[in-house]
Amino acid sequence: MVKQRTPPMEAYIRGARKPDPGGPEGDEHQLWRSVEELEGSGDVRRFSEAEFSEPASPESIDRRTLLNLMTASLALGGLSGCAVNRQPFGAPLLSQPHRSPQHIPGVPLMFATSLELDGLGRGVLVRSHDGRPVKIEGNPLHPASRGATDAFAQSEVLSLYDPDRSKVPMAGGTQRSWADVRQLIARLRQQFLANGGRGLHILLQPCASPTRDRLIRLAGQSFPEVSWHHYSPLSNDLGRAASQAVFGRPVDQVFDLTQADVIVTFGGDLFGAGAGHVRYAADYAARRRATNRPLPNLYAVETTPSLTGARADRRLNVAPREVESVARQVLSHIRQGTVQPSGPQSFAMAIASDLARAGPRALVVAGREQPAVVQAIAHVLNSELGAIGTAVRYIEPLSLDGNGHTQSLLALAEAMASGRVEALLILGGNPAYEAPADIDFADLLGRVPLSVHLGTYRDETGITCRWHVPARHALESWGDLRAFDGTVGLRQPATVPMVEATTPEELLAGIAGEATDGHGLVQGTWRAAWDADFEARWLKSLEDGVVEGSAAPAIPVQSARWSPSPAEPAPPVPRQTIVFAPDPSVWDGRFANNGWLQELPKPLTKQVWGNAALMAPATAAAFGLRTGDVALFTHDGRSLEAPVWSLPGHAPDAVTMTLGYGRTAAGSVGSLRGFDAYRLRTSRQPWVLENVTVIPTGRRDELITTQHHYWMEGRDIVRVVAPGETPKSSPKPRPSLYPDFIYDGNAWGMAIDLDLCLGCNSCVIACQAENNVPIVGPEEVARGREMHWLRIDRYYAGGTANPETYFQPLPCMHCEKAPCEIVCPVNATVHSSEGLNEMVYSRCVGTRTCSNNCPYKVRRFNWFNYSQRAFAAPDDVHNPAVTVRWRGVMEKCTYCVQRISAARIAARMENRPVRDGEVTTACQQACPTRAIVFGNINDPGSVVHQRREDPRHYALLGELNTQPRTTYLARISNALPARAAGGADDDTG
Amino acid sequence: MSRADYGVMGEFATADQLAEATRAARNAGYRRLDAFAPFPLRRVSHVLGCRTEIVPVIAATAAVVGGGLTYLAEYWMNAIDYPLNVGGRPLNSWPAFIPATISVSALWLAAAAFLTMLFQCRLPRLNHPVFAVPGFERASEDRFFLCVLADDPAYEARDITALMKRHGAVAITRMELGG
Amino acid sequence: MTTPVEAPTREVSRIPLSPDFGWGWTISLIASVLMVLVLAYAIGALVFVGVGVWGTNVPFVWGFDLTNYVWWIGLANGCSLFAAILVLRRHSLRTAINRFAEGLALFSVICAGIFPIFHLGRPWLFYWMFPYPATFQVWPQFRSPLTWDFWAIITHLIVTTMLWYVGLIPDLATLRDRARLPMAKRVFAVFALGWRSSLRHWDFHQRAYRLVAIAVIPLVLVIQSTVAFEFAVTLVPDWHETRLPLHFVVTGLESGLALILLAAAALRGSLRLERYIDDEDMNLIGKLLLANALVAGYVYAGEVGVMVFADRYTEASTINRITGDYAGLYWGAIALAVVVPQALWFRRIRLNNGLCVLIGLAVTAGIWLDRLSIVVAGVQRDYLPSMWRTYAPTPPEWYLFLGTVGLFAALFLLFVRYLPVISMSETRHDEHLEGSS
Repeated sequence: MVKQRTPPMEAYIRGARKPDPGGPEGDEHQLWRSVEELEGSGDVRRFSEAEFSEPASPESIDRRTLLNLMTASLALGGLSGCAVNRQPFGAPLLSQPHRSPQHIPGVPLMFATSLELDGLGRGVLVRSHDGRPVKIEGNPLHPASRGATDAFAQSEVLSLYDPDRSKVPMAGGTQRSWADVRQLIARLRQQFLANGGRGLHILLQPCASPTRDRLIRLAGQSFPEVSWHHYSPLSNDLGRAASQAVFGRPVDQVFDLTQADVIVTFGGDLFGAGAGHVRYAADYAARRRATNRPLPNLYAVETTPSLTGARADRRLNVAPREVESVARQVLSHIRQGTVQPSGPQSFAMAIASDLARAGPRALVVAGREQPAVVQAIAHVLNSELGAIGTAVRYIEPLSLDGNGHTQSLLALAEAMASGRVEALLILGGNPAYEAPADIDFADLLGRVPLSVHLGTYRDETGITCRWHVPARHALESWGDLRAFDGTVGLRQPATVPMVEATTPEELLAGIAGEATDGHGLVQGTWRAAWDADFEARWLKSLEDGVVEGSAAPAIPVQSARWSPSPAEPAPPVPRQTIVFAPDPSVWDGRFANNGWLQELPKPLTKQVWGNAALMAPATAAAFGLRTGDVALFTHDGRSLEAPVWSLPGHAPDAVTMTLGYGRTAAGSVGSLRGFDAYRLRTSRQPWVLENVTVIPTGRRDELITTQHHYWMEGRDIVRVVAPGETPKSSPKPRPSLYPDFIYDGNAWGMAIDLDLCLGCNSCVIACQAENNVPIVGPEEVARGREMHWLRIDRYYAGGTANPETYFQPLPCMHCEKAPCEIVCPVNATVHSSEGLNEMVYSRCVGTRTCSNNCPYKVRRFNWFNYSQRAFAAPDDVHNPAVTVRWRGVMEKCTYCVQRISAARIAARMENRPVRDGEVTTACQQACPTRAIVFGNINDPGSVVHQRREDPRHYALLGELNTQPRTTYLARISNALPARAAGGADDDTG
Repeated sequence: MSRADYGVMGEFATADQLAEATRAARNAGYRRLDAFAPFPLRRVSHVLGCRTEIVPVIAATAAVVGGGLTYLAEYWMNAIDYPLNVGGRPLNSWPAFIPATISVSALWLAAAAFLTMLFQCRLPRLNHPVFAVPGFERASEDRFFLCVLADDPAYEARDITALMKRHGAVAITRMELGG
Repeated sequence: MTTPVEAPTREVSRIPLSPDFGWGWTISLIASVLMVLVLAYAIGALVFVGVGVWGTNVPFVWGFDLTNYVWWIGLANGCSLFAAILVLRRHSLRTAINRFAEGLALFSVICAGIFPIFHLGRPWLFYWMFPYPATFQVWPQFRSPLTWDFWAIITHLIVTTMLWYVGLIPDLATLRDRARLPMAKRVFAVFALGWRSSLRHWDFHQRAYRLVAIAVIPLVLVIQSTVAFEFAVTLVPDWHETRLPLHFVVTGLESGLALILLAAAALRGSLRLERYIDDEDMNLIGKLLLANALVAGYVYAGEVGVMVFADRYTEASTINRITGDYAGLYWGAIALAVVVPQALWFRRIRLNNGLCVLIGLAVTAGIWLDRLSIVVAGVQRDYLPSMWRTYAPTPPEWYLFLGTVGLFAALFLLFVRYLPVISMSETRHDEHLEGSS
């Protein structure tokens, strides 16, 4: 890396640093080939130094370049400098292509930064082409990512360019200038300096950010009377109560699944949602592949089918109350030592005996929606089994958000109601939409004399508040975020802001009186922390995306001999129970206007463009409801109409509603889709709502799904083997009438380990982002025209009560004897010299016969000009290395041929063969569990070659002898013998 | 100045009369004869010495040539000029090249037959002296005509007229070139 | 004086030469022209909006487009084959049937040709199927059944036109000689190519006519098989069967015969041509259609028989075609194309124009259902259950289909109006032979 003193401008565009080989993810060095070359080649360095010699300052900005780039970037206006202070954005676009030290035109730059979810950071690398971020990858140096991402992180780049983002400050429905905003902040500061801030309320979205914490403390010094509120609809208040009860103090917990032999989850979704789920998924996969220890046992006791439950070796699906009783039984079994390791067992007994056997290598996890007692039991079990220190460690709470968000919001509501709130700053979040139903936040806002909302969208809250101020997108702003384990990741802008906007930190600073921009604020925080060696550590941290050694240390906890209070009796009349959950596509509603996520088939239902009330088939049948029938859900006075989805594996007598839909002011994409489950959520029962009556309305609402049939019909599609079982048939080459074409160079192939795939969907979005896969909209998906190049098929085995759930990612198989090619009359799809099945878009006339002849049905046709229709992604987000397809041509997975050729070019320049792992497909790179592996099957040393040697290896529909290059590894299920033994378990549901 | 003589045309009411007249004319030594009828009359045209065996020969040859060319073209395009690995199939996938070959050879067969007919009949020719003969339009309907051309070595208009009268010609006309 | 051979040409040639043709014809022509306008609209929608206006999707990438194409080409092949056989057999039926049978074939090919072009995603590039030195320097891919089909359609169009035209030349000459209006006379004269009904002409004409007919017979068999190959060479379980070409030839010929029966009954009814299309002719066509329907029944039975021994995928998808969402199409096809023709066992029905029209309509409709059942229901249950979906046609698909029907009707009406529907020369010839023998 270039190491001499650099003016601030260069600091803004620190390319991500290549991890030192042999590092935690030594095999990941291919992630940023571009930067590697940049750093490698000397003339680049000279170029950089030449640039360094020219200090960039606001005066020296080439205005014309700026204008050109901005208009080319996105015609959204907002050309001038930062909102709160006059300084220009410290963003790369100003300095590119001329002033960037690392920039070679056409070669993308990687920026290490952090994205927030649940108030915690996930380290990512942003790939930026000429100042346009187009793709997000995981940051291998970041503990929450390890090089992988979730679907949300992948899709942030689309939100960045969202044309619906709020563009100008609004006050009372009229546009205001940024001068007005600055004046407003100054006035507020003056007004409240007098009384120390009494009457000033500030509502924040919880966010583990050292800089924000510093600013809050700073503001607290000059405004001791300010009341701070924190609210997030998904906060883990109950968990806080639990740790309070067990350890007498709030703590956060970090799991280490690589250490666990027996994992028990009560609700939640360890792999699909919550803090560090990407890392936990990766660790679990690593643990499964660990050769030195037997396969771990994963038990899931849950109401809503989750990714964790789908992967679990043994799963019990029961209504929330019974989840609690199972937890209590397990605890009592463990405490009384009444475990019988063999013979017919209740599920609780099976868990207890397994946990007891595992001891310190056991891990018990409770979801955030579980009552405090269950989460407390999890704590107790972990500590009494001795898992603390091995599989789980406790750390100081990461975000200072006082005692419980719901309490915090209730306090605010109470203050607003009583008129004590003179001014309310809402810095992020959307309380008017997310607040519990018993708090009419929008109405209360009306009573506040001065309310200011800061957000990237003028959403439900922004419309209600007196003032609305546009906020910067994460990819445009400075900041720092703590990951689930406390590790700090710096956030730097990867582009010049699309619109003139500001950040919560800058507003807080404005209040606190520290008048500098986001860059200065973050530097301020860390200059104080590092003082002496600030410069070096700052640059390194920017390059790494993480602050070295900032992980939170484990804190000692001593659990008083806590015992659960006796369970209160079940309600006399058994009614339905509603469980609320974040939505796998739009989370708490913040992603509602993101077309990629709206069109992303939810892992288990494969539903798109909306949500549904999930019920067990038996329960739905009891009410005479079929999928798509609208039912009326009523709970003391409040009622909500929602379409029902009969979901196999769901617990009986319970309903799951995912939050985040039914937005009214989300934008052109997200408004008025699905139903708003917040309307039933109360501050007393935020997660589990009991005594709900269900009344069929007789109306129907055709829900949109991409998979209608979920049985395998006894076909050998997803192959499942018991541990150590020899596979049915080894894929020995079948005889063929056709000559063998010799691929003596690279022969690209992909191997997907179905034992590792969790169905988390991040590969699907990664593929969409990398390959400019269009968004087609709900009507088109309903007609069966979704365009995803990579789909994840979901199959069930066993009855609908509590089936096994299998996921199977399906990209193009790149068959060597491709059936699609021979039927094309115009040679529009042919084989490459490296065995790729290639689509020649410009030659395709659109007979569609290739799709007819594809047994895997992975080809997608452009029925309309999708890249120009409604819902189409903005042009700026398109990957310049991939053609945007037009109307009337067929398309499909290319194995990310653009990445292959990039690697080939690099290898040629260095006059060497392409190394294994040098080519990563987008799906492979995003996959947390490394289920997808790509490489040269001719190279005996390649991972893909080794996987093809694995006894579990098989070709999908191999009997057709299409000789696919994409092959699968059978899923290992140690549930098979278990079911054979105590088969009664499955009926417990 | 009378225009150049083309021949003598006799009109008959029935096919039998035409047949008689034709045979008589042949016996009288006339060689440049032509007969017209609303439908084919094998025996008369046999007397006239009309031979058509050449047509099927030409058509068959055309079929073979057309088919051969088609196959060679397919082979050259897909295996020689621009060879591509299409679904791992052999470059010269001869079974797949057959259907188009058959279709096109049938096309050549039909086209050759049609064109040969036109050539042999010297068609299209919209203008012809016979059309000048009064009542000749009934040749396409219900009348039969015999014509002795003037370039016949034994041509003698008067004898011919007499011969035709003898065999019951309804009307006899002398045709002139460009008439 | 009149000879026995005078009458036929008179009556037949009176039809095209008569100044006015009655309001019935005019109204039907207007109706069919309106339908042609619908066709224009449907094609415009395809070209300017995109093939997405149809209900097609993945896996149902083909819907009405291929269904109607296969149906029309089947009609064409049926008519051509029948006409050609008659020519070669010198069968007496040919005087009555050939002319309009060849016409029906030609019009069907024209309608069929519309679909392969406009079902493309980018129809304006259809000529890429033709081997011309493109800028890509890449040639068509001759292993593809679609390429075979491209050549089949072109050949079919040209050869059918020739068969029809060669037969027409002498009659055009007759019309030229009988026409009163100078304009009509001139037009007929041009198309008659100066035919002089010289005996030389006649001999070469007979040769050429028979040779073209000989070319037609293998051609239609190959074409009908090629159409079947479009499905049979794919991996789709229900399509990938060697029996498919047989199925297409048999049902195609049946639909052609039904169309001929339909047209014959309609013509002799409306144009008072009983003398030329006499009871014996109708009787014979009826019997032929009945026989063909029985063969079709055998083919359907054979399909079930094949299924029993087929692999699990084929079995599943065939069973789905017979019992699944689209079972109605399959059973409708059997009812209309196999059961209904059994009525033709009775001579009275064979000679009843009205009933013959109805039976003809029923059989052609039945074959259409059969095509739809194959194209749509055939792909519904293929290998991966995750992609099992449904398809429903949209209005634009119906417009396109009805539009081609309108085009067919318009062409046929114009043909009936301006050309002799009965081969006059053949009739003269026959009656002469009968008279002389």
